[in-house]
Amino acid sequence: MAAPSAPTERWKPPLPPALVERTKQAGKALGMPLGSVVLSFLVGAVIVLVTGGNPITAYQGLLCGGVGVLCSGSTYSSYTGAYQISEMLVFLCPLVLTGLSVAIAFRAGLFNIGAEGQLIVGAIATTFVGVHLQQLPSEILLPLVLIAGALAGAVWGGIVGVLKALTGAHEVVTTIMLNYIALFFLTYLIVGGPMQEKGISSSSDAISAKARLPKLVPAHHLFFGEPGGIYRVHAGIFVALAAAVVFAFIMKRTSLGYEIRAVGQSQRGARYAGISVNRTIIKTMLIAGAFGGLAGAIQIAGVRYQLTDIYTPDTTGFDAIAVSLLGQNSGIGVVLSGILFAGLDVGRNVMQSGANVSKNLADILQALILFSIAANFLRSLKLRLPSLRNVRGSQSQVEPGVAAVATDIAPGATVDASASGGSPGE
Amino acid sequence: MNLISQILHLMTTAGLWQLTLTVGALLLLPALGGVISERSGVTNIAMEGMMLTGAFVSIVADLAWHNPWLSTLLAIFCGGLMATIHAVISIRFRADQIIAGFAINIFAAGVTTYLDDKFYNYNGAGHVNQANMLPFIRVPVLDKIPFFGQVLFEQNIIVYVAILLLVVTQFALFRTKLGLRVRAVGEHPQAADTAGINVYALRYGAVITSGLLSGLGGAFLAIGIENTFNPNMTNGRGYIALAAMIFGKWTPIGSFIACLIFGLGYALFANNSSISASPFLLNMLPYVFTLIVLAGLVGRSTPPAADGIPYEPGVE
Repeated sequence: MAAPSAPTERWKPPLPPALVERTKQAGKALGMPLGSVVLSFLVGAVIVLVTGGNPITAYQGLLCGGVGVLCSGSTYSSYTGAYQISEMLVFLCPLVLTGLSVAIAFRAGLFNIGAEGQLIVGAIATTFVGVHLQQLPSEILLPLVLIAGALAGAVWGGIVGVLKALTGAHEVVTTIMLNYIALFFLTYLIVGGPMQEKGISSSSDAISAKARLPKLVPAHHLFFGEPGGIYRVHAGIFVALAAAVVFAFIMKRTSLGYEIRAVGQSQRGARYAGISVNRTIIKTMLIAGAFGGLAGAIQIAGVRYQLTDIYTPDTTGFDAIAVSLLGQNSGIGVVLSGILFAGLDVGRNVMQSGANVSKNLADILQALILFSIAANFLRSLKLRLPSLRNVRGSQSQVEPGVAAVATDIAPGATVDASASGGSPGE
Repeated sequence: MNLISQILHLMTTAGLWQLTLTVGALLLLPALGGVISERSGVTNIAMEGMMLTGAFVSIVADLAWHNPWLSTLLAIFCGGLMATIHAVISIRFRADQIIAGFAINIFAAGVTTYLDDKFYNYNGAGHVNQANMLPFIRVPVLDKIPFFGQVLFEQNIIVYVAILLLVVTQFALFRTKLGLRVRAVGEHPQAADTAGINVYALRYGAVITSGLLSGLGGAFLAIGIENTFNPNMTNGRGYIALAAMIFGKWTPIGSFIACLIFGLGYALFANNSSISASPFLLNMLPYVFTLIVLAGLVGRSTPPAADGIPYEPGVE
């Protein structure tokens, strides 16, 4: 067996250097986020263990509910993988779009907490057009409602950009204010306001059937043993993916992308290079707002079809910040981390009912991932490991003394001290 | 116009201003924390999470111990613990402080609701006994003053504490050696370090103080006002406090004025039954107002020069 395989191992076709370089780059780009995710799930498992749960069942629930794998065993056999994936994709659409909104602002050095507000005004505009322009044919109306949502979002983001550029108003505060304004404005519209459906409180009229995004699974066919009608996944997923491609194209291939990156790196440097910082900030926030608005538009045209007051507990625009950070503010990164967070969103309920672990574990995991990325614990671990080894080596003579001190303080600590004293000898 | 006269009439009632002061004081506590933290050079948007932690801990402790004072102390302590996480990540690991603060907020929301589910088996915490809440105090004699008596001297005890802390913070920051040092560390840590000031110690102290104050604010909300814990019950108040701090140009007094404006907005909303306009539009007003003020009237608000920049010795 070994003999014939030896020559093939010796002769390796030379890989194109560009490909090698790219693989290395991809590995580097993936390493930190992936490491952070793994680290966070390990800490999360400890939290579940300490609070009296079973982390294996819990994480199996997250996997089954989130990405439709490992739906086996008595606990999870009632869940259909295909349905769970369909739900995950439904959650993925707004997460990717709001994630892109946050990401493009981050690239310009702006912290956009306002994706939620942009999403809400996008939803309002989409519903307004979808309800009032019913006479238009579908080929015009459907693009029109999406454009209306994106435009409304762009206006909402643009306000932030203009204020930042002209008066220096901090975008963190203005976006928070605009989130509240959007939320209260929406509530006003549908509770006693002009868009309220007759006789029904806290929802609007439904948008025209011609303004709706088509479902991907035909309703009257069996699909993986379930009637097709229960699958909610819709064509908006293609809009979201296309937006990610547009984002990557803007950032990498256009002069606007170059300007955004330059402003994000150093405003002073960008100014010396002849870039108008103020104009770039405004343009960035217009695009960011358009992505955010499109997220709201897709939720209306693909899933909800009408405005409701679900937005009070909605956190999509905030989850988007985690999505963007984990995705390193890149197009593909936002899609990949969006899948993780959408999976957590759907899987958390499955986990709670199956493993009796509170679904809020998902929030804790999300926060841990953010901590890990922000503080870059992994890098610190790497930096500290060699020094730890040195300390251990040099301290081998000191060790008994340490053990003696430990004995003085607490007799129980001797075991630990002698155990760690023994390890450098290996 | 009818609407304006209704609002003007409401403005003459003492109850409106009483509530304004209560809500203003509630926002003031985390806002003061933010001022102290940012004056020392650590950006802090984590007041929301630290407040939520305080609210949860105070309810859990009060339900178990039936003692609001001990519960408040524990809430303050746990707010401080959350702040310590923020401090370690921001100062020791030199993380992006906005991201770290944001993560604290998600973490606090996750942990409190996770434990809420765990402790009360998905049923919610329930209410504490009225007798175990932080007491409402009528100052004798003074509360007989017409109008002002009700506004100023019929308040929860924490309102008086908050006003006291406001005076103390304003004095400490601008009239004492410690305050000068905190501000020096926030403006130019290199120079402060050269002058022999311990930059790290002061920043840790300032961030942890902001957690203590926010924890107290959380306890006030949970066992002084609302009498229960709901997931995410702070409902953005920490962010409003943040806005108030920037609005108030990073000064305690200025922040308090901004907090009162938000408090007035909330009080108008709470009294909306006597106004013939959508309560939601009323609720929107303080945010629109802040936006307009930020856009033009206040002018460029300048944070402390070293705000948000991790300190590395020897790096200019």
